[in-house]
Order: sequence, then C-alpha cells, then structure tokens
Amino acid sequence: MPEMLESVKVIELAEGGAGPLAAARLADLGAAAIKIETGEGDWMRGAVPSMPGGMGAAFFHLNRGKRSLALGSRPEAARPLLRALAAAADVFVTDRDDAELERLGVADAGDARLPGNPRLIVVRLSPMGRKGPLAGAKGSELTVQAMAGYTRYLGAQGEPPLRLGADVASMGTGIFAAQAVLAALYRRKRDGRGQRVDLSLLNSLLSMKSIHLAAQSDPDVYSGPRVGGANNPPERGWKTADRPIFFQFGGSVGAEGRAGWAAFVRDAGMSRLLEDPRFDQNGRTTTGHGVKVHEVREEYEKEFARFPAETLVSLVRKHAGNAAVYARADEALAHPQTAALGIVQEVTTREGAKAKVRAFPARFSGMTPQLKGSAPLLGEHNEAIAAEAGFPGRGYSDLVDSGALRAAGR
Amino acid sequence: MAGKERAAGGPLEGIRVLDVSIMAAGPWTGALLGMLGAEVIKVEPPAGDGTRWVMPTQKGMGTNFISMNVNKRNTTLDLKRLEGRAAALALLRTCDVFVQNFRGGVIERLKLDYEAVREVNSKLVYCSISGFGETGPLSKAGCADPIMQAFSGFARANGAPGEGLEAFRFTGFIDLTTAAVATEAILAALLEREQTGAGQKVEVSMLEAALEIQYTRIAELLGAGLVPCPRGSASPAAAPDRAYAALDRYVFMTVRGESEWQGFCAAIEQPGLASDSRFATNALRVENRDALDALIEPILRARPAIWWLRACARHGVAAGLAYDFETFRHHAQIVENGMIARLHTPHWGEISVGGLPWHFSRTPGAVRAPAQPGENTDEILAGLPGTVAAGHAGDA
Repeated sequence: MPEMLESVKVIELAEGGAGPLAAARLADLGAAAIKIETGEGDWMRGAVPSMPGGMGAAFFHLNRGKRSLALGSRPEAARPLLRALAAAADVFVTDRDDAELERLGVADAGDARLPGNPRLIVVRLSPMGRKGPLAGAKGSELTVQAMAGYTRYLGAQGEPPLRLGADVASMGTGIFAAQAVLAALYRRKRDGRGQRVDLSLLNSLLSMKSIHLAAQSDPDVYSGPRVGGANNPPERGWKTADRPIFFQFGGSVGAEGRAGWAAFVRDAGMSRLLEDPRFDQNGRTTTGHGVKVHEVREEYEKEFARFPAETLVSLVRKHAGNAAVYARADEALAHPQTAALGIVQEVTTREGAKAKVRAFPARFSGMTPQLKGSAPLLGEHNEAIAAEAGFPGRGYSDLVDSGALRAAGR
Repeated sequence: MAGKERAAGGPLEGIRVLDVSIMAAGPWTGALLGMLGAEVIKVEPPAGDGTRWVMPTQKGMGTNFISMNVNKRNTTLDLKRLEGRAAALALLRTCDVFVQNFRGGVIERLKLDYEAVREVNSKLVYCSISGFGETGPLSKAGCADPIMQAFSGFARANGAPGEGLEAFRFTGFIDLTTAAVATEAILAALLEREQTGAGQKVEVSMLEAALEIQYTRIAELLGAGLVPCPRGSASPAAAPDRAYAALDRYVFMTVRGESEWQGFCAAIEQPGLASDSRFATNALRVENRDALDALIEPILRARPAIWWLRACARHGVAAGLAYDFETFRHHAQIVENGMIARLHTPHWGEISVGGLPWHFSRTPGAVRAPAQPGENTDEILAGLPGTVAAGHAGDA
C-alpha cells in the first residue's frame, strides 16, 4: 500500500519540539522531510539524556525519518540552494523570524509568496505570536507555561512555582501544526493553492484553556474546580493501603449523572458514609473534582486504608465509576492496555539495531503509518540534498567552499 | 493579507460533520473541525450533555458546554429510539465525518457502529474516541481527564522535587489533547479519501493522546531509560531552565544552546561563568546543575524580576513571568494575536473561549458561539426522508 503523503515534500527549518514533532508525524504518514539546521544545529541534539552514541534521546524521537542539511559558517551563501528547495517543496515548517528568513534569502517563501510555487504551504511557529509587542521575543516551554497561567494549577501558594513535567506547549503546538499542514493540503486539493499558517506556543496553551477561560468569564457563582483549581491545595489523590488512586462518580449525561456511588459504598463496607450529611447520594460532590472533596477526603482514606489500590479501582469500576492508580510513565507503557493498543512500536535504526518508538497516536482502518527508524547526523545528507536541488558535484563543492554548507565530517 | 484574498470559511469549508459526542474530548473535536470551517451538527440526547450542568454556569448554562461546542448547530435526537437512529443515519448519508465517544459497547447497541454506518455511507470518516481504546482489558472501562492523568504517568511527572506526584488541577487538559489528536487523525483520513475515494474508521483514545503530549518525556524513557519524575520547575533536558526567585517575585528563565548560554552569562554580568569548564555544554550544565544554581541563585535574588526580564531580552534569553486570567486577558500580545475569542451569545452574554490555534492566511475560519440545545432540530431534520424529532427544541 502506498503511503498517504508519499508525494509530499516537507522542509523543516525549526528546532526544539513543536516543528520537529509536526514534521516527524508527517514523515510517519509518508512525507519526505528535510531538516535544515544552522550554526551548532538543533539544540535538542545536545539535550539530556542522550542515547549511546551521544544523540539526545528526544532529538532521535522528534527527528526520525528526516534527512539533514546543515548550513555552514556563511549561511547567506546558501540562498540559491534554499530557494531551490523551497521551490520544489509542498510544505515549509519554520520557527525562524522574518529577519532570519530574509538573511537566508527565503523571506518570500516564508510568507507563502515564492514566485513559481503558489502551492507552497508555510507553517510559521513562534513562542508568542506573529504580531504584537512580543512578536520577536524569545520564549520557551517554561516561560509560555507560566505566561498562559498553567503553573497556577500546580503547587501551593507561597511555595516555589512548578511546571508541568510534560512539554505541553511544544507538543501541543506540534499537534496543531500537523493539523495545519493536513488542513491546508486538503484545501489545496480544492483550489490548487498553498497559504501561510501562523501558530505559537502561547496561543496553543490558551486555545487548550478554553474551558477555564469560559469558566472565568462571568460565572453565576464562583464555584467548582474550573475557577477554584488555582487556589486549591496540591492534588495527590486518595491514599490507600499502598498507592494513591483517583476516583470519581457522577456521569456525563443529564443533570443528575449516573447511579453507582451508593452501591460502591455498600460493597466496600463503608455504609456509614450513607448516613453522613456531608456526602451527597451520587458521589458527585465528594469524588473527582467535587466541591466537597477537600472537606471529606480523610473520611474516604480511613476506609481506603483497608484496600490495595488495584482492588479499589476494580470496585469503583464495577459500580460504573471511574478510577485509576497513579502510575509512572514506565508503568503506563508496560500496562497490558498500552500493549494491546500497540502504542510502543519497534523500528530498525541505521545501525540495524532495534529501537522502541511512540507509534502514531491514532489507528486507521484503511492505512498504516510507517514509523521511521533513523534520525540524521548533523549535515549527513548535505551532498545528496544539494545534488537533488540542482547542485551536484562541483556545485556542491562550491557550496561547501563558500561556507554555505557545513563540510562533511565536521 | 488583502481582503479579497481571504475566503470566508476555513480550509474545511464544504465538509459536513455529525457529532454525537458528549463532555469534552469528543465535543472539542467537533469544535476544532468547525473552527476549520466545517459545518458541524451536534446531536444531544434528550437528557442533555452533562456539561450543561457542570459548574460554573453563566446565565444558567454550563461554561464547559459553551466552550466545547462552539461552531456547532444543535439538535436533540434519542438515538435509542428507532426514529432517532433513522434520523441519524439519514444525516450521516449527507456527512463527511462522524464523531462519537460513547462508552465501549454503547455504539454497537445503538447499531451506529462503523460496520452499520458504512452501509449507508462508505465515504464517511468515522471517528471513535474512547478513554482506553477499543481493544484490550480496559476497553470497556470509563475514563475522564483526571483518571487518564493518573493512568498515563502525566501526574507523576509533576510536583516539587522528591514528591511522588501532583495532578494538574486544570480539568480537561487531557480531554482537549485527545480532541487535538483526533482532529489530526480525521484530517489525515480526509486527505487519504482524496486519493482513494473511500472513508475509513479512525480510533483515538485518551491514553494515546496523554502519551503523545508526553512525547519528549516518553522519548527520554524509551531512548535512554530516564523515568519522568517531579522536578519542581526544572526540566530534565536543559539547564538552567526553571523559575528563580528574584528580589520581588519569581522569574522563569530558559537556556538551551550555546549562544543562549553566552547570552545568559552576559545578562547576569558573569563573564567568568561563560568560560567555566563545569558549564561548557548543556550536558555539563545539567550534570552540574546544583553547583550552577548555587552560583546564580544569589545573583538573581539581588535584583527585581523586571531587571532580569530586560537583561534577558537584551541578550536573547527567554525569560517571563507567571500570569493569570485577569493579567493576560487584555494583554496586547494575546489580544492582537487572537489567542482568546470573545463571543457574544444571545442567551448567555459575553464569554471568552480559546481562540483559533492556527491562523490561516487565505482561509482563516473563525470561532462562533454555539447554538442552544435543540435550537436547530426542526431545520436539520426538515426534508430528511421519514424522520421526526425525538426530543423537542429548546428544552434547556
């Protein structure tokens, strides 16, 4: 079966997480991706921890399936090559600003106005947006989490701030960037033309904050986790005989939700809670993110101390509630459910070794993404890419001699 | 971009979506497709999507419901009844995308599973969203955002150093991540349909999405055996990259490659640090991060945050402050880039929701207020062969 994006050529002039994730997922769907690097290369190459051989582990996973073109000490000398690559590309993903694209001679391409390639789709990534007073300012996963108010929902007032351990701004933007490319490709099928799409890390986190933005707009009553979460104590679930769990009753349909809480309470030998006026009769206010959770957590924990976490999780599920043990990521990956979905797949690397990678995050009945197994060394494909773009042999040597391209073996 | 160049709709103009999902992960999928220009019909059960009653409300309507159902018309159908199912199938004949997120087994009982629906429309992209996936021992287990935070390891990567875990007290983030992944997958299937002419089933789970948003941490685990754990405001990948106490408040700073390190040393006026061999590379700075922090903490604590923001800006280093709703909602950066959308609704007043995550130059799309529950039932069902509305309009 041919891969779905087989004829799609992507050039990526981006580093870190967002642009590379988008291009890696497009490569999994069959696109041919060229990664263009300047200076010392993508900083992720040197991120910790590294794999045997020294390549950053995250770099490997974010750049599987790409070829690398490394510019040299005089990147402006690479203009003819970069313009040739842009002229032949379907998609150009970049996190460089206008001034840098100007220096590299591809400002018009960066604005989806490259003469001769009206079909080019350009994805522009920035920390904090294309326009506005901070348009050119530096930003990072951390600074954007703080600016979007995400750090307020972790930790406690008066204590040092915390971040989310997951790189939610960059990975979220990577997902949105892949959407942008696919949607623009779909549109191009209709009218034959590309366009420019702008995304930013800060924008992504605010788009994904929609529930909380709405909750804080003009609420009838300032109540519930969506407005109170930032002022609540750290959320570490309910202690049991061994590991903590999270559980909830309530439900998703109608005003009252599903039954189940009372039966769970009886089944677990905690019937005294049925007589306690602090507990409602369907568990909505005292489980999950209910408004009385902090008030009565200890009452549950007194009872939960008799049960191992897994036993309680089964009991809650038996009565149509939701529950899970707080697991580490390695435990999550080792769980039979994760295995059943094929979430981790094995690929073959350039050295012929096996490597485990995170599969494409969806399953399709009509196609199978082909996960790629090798990430490129810095400038590994300089000669081949230059030749394909019209600079074979002597042309390539001239590019190296002029400082346009990084010399091989450096 | 010149006005005449901009099409009114988004890139998915002409696509029609039937969205029978409830709560957040499914509904925001429909909302994103709507923001991309698709025509989206939300189907609610007669009892209503539970988010209508989730606190807080605004003028009586759950703000969760409003934010998750933008860009949709709304109809009430009882899919458990023969005529409700018939109406859904009649609608599906005219649709390109179907979104459902019932608990495992329910869609089969409703006889609206992929095999049944494909019979009436083989070009349909059928998106099924679940908590734990459709196969495996937990395929029938219910799920919700905080459940998946616990199960997937997401919460165990947060907290003060040495703590075991801390959940994100920000409900819905994994739901919205799931919707983002589902939209990515639906778009891939729509594009595939351009080549094959056939629709297909697309399965997305909250588990897969929770592991996708942890992609870098999972990469470190799979590639180098590093198990994610709470690190305060620091990251495993780079240093310095954390919140530091300045004289008056915390300032968040990040240093990645070598040029940023040189800039940082200049910003804190420590030229000697730039040539200190203990900190010569990112790997060394991570390895010696305690020694590095011991050097820079007193320096940063001696001056106010604003000083460090200016110094970092001058030297090309990322630095920022923590904001909240009241301090960012009118921020010029956020307003000018449309990161928050201000909706004027006929019944619930003015309300802020997330803005478009992408800004297409030629086909921009827009965020539009949702319809009221049941508002469009009659117009949507009018003209469908042999159907009647099972619920009634305006029962909110």
